[in-house]
This record gives sequence, structure tokens and C-alpha cells, in this order.
Amino acid sequence: MTSTTVVGSYPRIGDAPEEQRLRRAIGRFDEGKVSEADLREVERSVVREVVEEQVAAGIALPTDGQVTWSDSQSHFARHLDGVEVDGLVRYFDTNTYYRQPVVKGKVRWREPATVDEWRYASSIAGGPVKAVVTGPFTLATLAKSDGTAKRELVRDFASAVAGEVRALQQAGATHIQVDEPAITRAPEEVGLLKEGVERVAGEKGRAWLCLFAYFGDVAGILGDLAALPIDNLGLDLVQGERNWKALAEAGSEVPLTLGVVDARNTRRDDPKALARSLLALKGEVPLEESHVSPSNGLEFLPREKAREKLRLVAEAAKLVEAGL
Amino acid sequence: MSLLTTSVGSFPKPPYLAKARALHSKGELTDADLRPLEERATREWIAFQEEIGIDILVDGEQYRGDMATYFAENLDGCEVSGLVRSYGNRYYKKPVVVGELERPRSITVDWWTWAQGLTGKPLKGMLTGPYTMMDWSFDEHYASREALAMAFAEVLHQEAKDLERAGAEMIQIDEPALSTRADELDLVVKALGAVTRGLDAKTITHTCYGNYDAVFPYFNRLPVDQIDLEMSNSGLDLLERFRREPLKKEIAFGVIDVHSHVIETEAQVRERIERALEIFAPETLYIDPDCGLKTRTVEEAQAKLRVMVAATRAVKAARGLE
Repeated sequence: MTSTTVVGSYPRIGDAPEEQRLRRAIGRFDEGKVSEADLREVERSVVREVVEEQVAAGIALPTDGQVTWSDSQSHFARHLDGVEVDGLVRYFDTNTYYRQPVVKGKVRWREPATVDEWRYASSIAGGPVKAVVTGPFTLATLAKSDGTAKRELVRDFASAVAGEVRALQQAGATHIQVDEPAITRAPEEVGLLKEGVERVAGEKGRAWLCLFAYFGDVAGILGDLAALPIDNLGLDLVQGERNWKALAEAGSEVPLTLGVVDARNTRRDDPKALARSLLALKGEVPLEESHVSPSNGLEFLPREKAREKLRLVAEAAKLVEAGL
Repeated sequence: MSLLTTSVGSFPKPPYLAKARALHSKGELTDADLRPLEERATREWIAFQEEIGIDILVDGEQYRGDMATYFAENLDGCEVSGLVRSYGNRYYKKPVVVGELERPRSITVDWWTWAQGLTGKPLKGMLTGPYTMMDWSFDEHYASREALAMAFAEVLHQEAKDLERAGAEMIQIDEPALSTRADELDLVVKALGAVTRGLDAKTITHTCYGNYDAVFPYFNRLPVDQIDLEMSNSGLDLLERFRREPLKKEIAFGVIDVHSHVIETEAQVRERIERALEIFAPETLYIDPDCGLKTRTVEEAQAKLRVMVAATRAVKAARGLE
């Protein structure tokens, strides 16, 4: 049956005072007024809330919402050797910023960045929780380095991400997603991405592995991505509108995560129209084994809108299921 | 006239104003109670700029919060969203376009007129550009990004005309989102052109945080008289490119890193100005910080501006420039 998932991030604060407790806790922690343990406790309570919101909205495969992540790049860089974290850089076209990792030596995985939160989220979800890691191609593309060849950087980051994936699957993660938004901006570098994903996939064990490319389309390299050693391919069908045509023409044998609900805009999507478009792909892609999702992480939306988008994902998936 | 000094737009809000704005946002302080504090802070910043000898002034935007939502709050067809994350533990609200954009009354003219009345030096009118307004808004109404950008351009054009009628000799239209999508640079040119069409005032656009490689070929195509660029934070990388492909308009050249607490030394800033002078003629070269200074403390911002002015004076004296 057509299932539901999210891409990863979720707004960690909302507009109600109670929904801003993590913001306050981080502020007080930075001022030295609360301990790290106190901060962790608040983080956990928000992870719980975020997982519960997803499950209540009908998301079958939730994530921990990346509630503890400062951003998608530095969260990993802080757990790697050979990388330091520097100033703010704009994150794609999102008008948000990440702290840029700077490669200072041989990049090596040191310790898990995501395992604790994944384990905690799993303990409350009542079903599988998808672990999400930033992919080696994107880490290498957005990091700063002095002259190291990109291929070498991708390889080193791939070994590091492989370490994280190994730790996740050893901790019991059955669903792991590798995010590679940077490939939508440089499809000509798919060869480098391939090397990175192959290295990471080598450590997935028996876990289901999804590669997700958002913030644009991968229409020109769909075949290359589908041929990778992955169990699921995640596509942004909003900002990557050209993916629709590519899918209709070439189809896909690999099950997909179909990012159809617009995670970059507050406008309410029409689930009937989305379901119709998805059902038009029937016969071309394995809809029964695929997931419906937002087009990218939901943290770019206000919390109340993110909640609405979760419900729209569930509604669209139900309509697809009914039409199959 | 050469090496005129100016600022990009925003200055930090003094603690008494920051506190009052927090109370105001909770509904514990009225508009009428807030306004005198905004005026006091504006007066202080105008006086400071005059005291240190800046040539072209700004009002410091003490009455504005976010540069996009300030305009959204004053337009019909526009609402303001709930909080979204900017980075780390920083959050902001975004415009939400819910209907046809219309400007029921002028937005910035009252403040501009009042602040210009405090000084005999020229004060820039400050607008957030149409492409940036579009890119930073949620759109629940218009059919495309282009349609929304052009709708913003129309209301901003009306605002620019009103500023000009009120006497503004320079109007700056900030486009920090300019370099966001390389495939939309033609839209930036078109939308900015719709704002500046028919204006006699000197027009300026400011941008920052960019992938300037893609943007560079567009600098000469931007329909403004002056471009204002963040140069220090990008390591003055662009200078060589300007040597090969000359800019055919004025440049305001950022010599102060606004993201660092560290106060530049006069020697550092002098060196940056000297390097700029290798490429640009002194009459077309303006000296300013990389970007708005609102994220620094009042003390840091003032110290940085003092260094900027002192360094500019030293360069002018050494070269015998007027």
C-alpha cells in the first residue's frame, strides 16, 4: 500500500509560548543558566511532541524532526575529526543559514551524531522511525576546503557518513535516508555522488536505504540514481517539477518517496489534485511500494502550517491508495 | 567629491528600544508609547553619523523589525507568518501574500521626512527590493514567482516615487536575495527596473552573501546608478574580476565585516580602500560597511564606523583627494 513519510526536519518551535520552550532553554543554556542535562530534557520533550504530531497526523514513517540539529551540515561536522565549524553561509535558496564546515585535515567519523535521538524517537513512535543523515556529496559540496580535490573530499565524507550509517543500523535502525540536495544543483557530478552513495550503502546492513534529492529536479539523471544500490529514491516534485515528466517518460522500478506536498510554501495543497497526478504514474512507477511525503523538510514552514502539511500528505496517500 | 562615506541601512537598536519593542510585541506597550523611543534612537544615530562626519546618512531603521515583514505589515494583501528558523536558535516571521498587493498609504515617507529634517546632509530612502520580497514571502495568491515579484515591484515603485516627491535624492533598493537563483537573474533586472523606471533620484541596490560568479555579468545590467557590495567578508575576491570587466556604474564598497565582533584597525580598512582605488575612480567609489550593522552592539557598530571614517580620511589626505 502507498505509505506516508516526511523528509526529515520539522519546526522545533511554534508560536504558542509552550511551543517555544526549546528556544528559551537554548538561550538559557548559552547564558550558562541551565545545565546540558536540563537542555537535553527539553530537547527530548520536543522530540516526543514532534514524533507524536507526525503519528497523529497519519505519517507511517516519521523522523525525530531533527530537533537537536543546529543545521544539516554542522550537526555532522561537529562529530567528525578533521573538520571545524566556521561562519554562516546561506543554505541553498532557503533564506536560512548553516555554519560552514571547514576541512582542516583528514575527515574521519569520530562518534555518532544521530543515534541517540533516533533511539529516543523510536522508543515513542510505536513503529519504525526513519533515521536521516546528510549525504557525502552534499557535505563535500557545502564545506570549505583548501584545494583538496572534490573527489577525495566526497570519498572522505562518504567514509564518515558510512560510519554513521553503520552505527545506526547496529543500533537497530531499519530505515535510513541519505539526503543529497546538492545534486539537484550539479547533476553533472552524479559520478561523484554515485561513489559516495555506494560507499555509504555498503554499511547499511539489512536496513532500507533511501536517497533523497530535494530543492530541485534530477530529471536528467533519474536513471543514474535509480541504478544506485538503494531501496528507495526520494524526489522533490514541487521545486523539481521536471521530475514529473521524467518519471512519466522513463518510469521507475525503484520504489519512490514522492515529495508532492509543497514544504516551501504555506499555500494549502489540493490532495485530490496531487492524488490524480500520482495516479497518472500508475504502471510507470511502483506506487504500492512508494511513500507520499512533503517536498523537503518541513522546518521552513511555521509549525501550524507544517502540521497541516502532514495531514495533507496523509490525505493524498489515502486517495492514491483508494485509486489503485 | 570623492570617497564619500555612507552606511548600508540598519543600525543596532539601543537596549532601551530593544526592551520596549519586546514589550510592544507582547501587547504591553502601545504604538504611541513606542514611537518616542524609536524617535529618540533615530535622533541619536543621526547625531552620531554627523558627529563622526559620515557624508550620506541613513535613519538606522530603528522602527523596523525584519526588512521584509516591515513592508508586509504595511501592504494590503499581505500578512505575517508564524515563526520559522533562520539559523541556530534564531527565528523570524515571513510575509504571507494572501491577495492582490496594494499600498494603502506610503510606508517609509513619514519616517524619511522626519529623519531628513534632523540633518542637512542627504539621507537615503530605504526599500526592500521586489525580488527579495518575493523570494522571502510565502505566496498563497499569485500564480508564479515572476507575477509576485512584479506585483511587489509595482507597490515599491509607488513608494519610491513618493520618497522622491518628498525630496529624497538617493533611494536604495536592497536585494540581498539577488544571487539566490542564478536562473532568475533576468527577473531581478526586470523587477528592479519596474521599481526604478522614471526616477530622477540616484538609485542604489545593495546585495550580500552571494555567489558573485553567476551574478557578475549582471552587475552592469542592474537598472540602478550604484551597486553596494559586501566586499570584506568575501575577501575582496571580486576585485580582480572588476579589473578585467570594468563596472560602468558607481560602487559602494564594503570595508567593514558586519558579522564579526572584532573592530577592524584603521590600517586594515585603509588597505581595503587602497585596494579598491586600484580598480575604481575615487569619484565613483563610496565607502561603507559590508551590510547593515543591526546584529552588532551599539558600541561595536559605532567603533566600526569611526574606524571606517578615520581610514577614509587618512586615504584622502595621503592622496590629496577632496
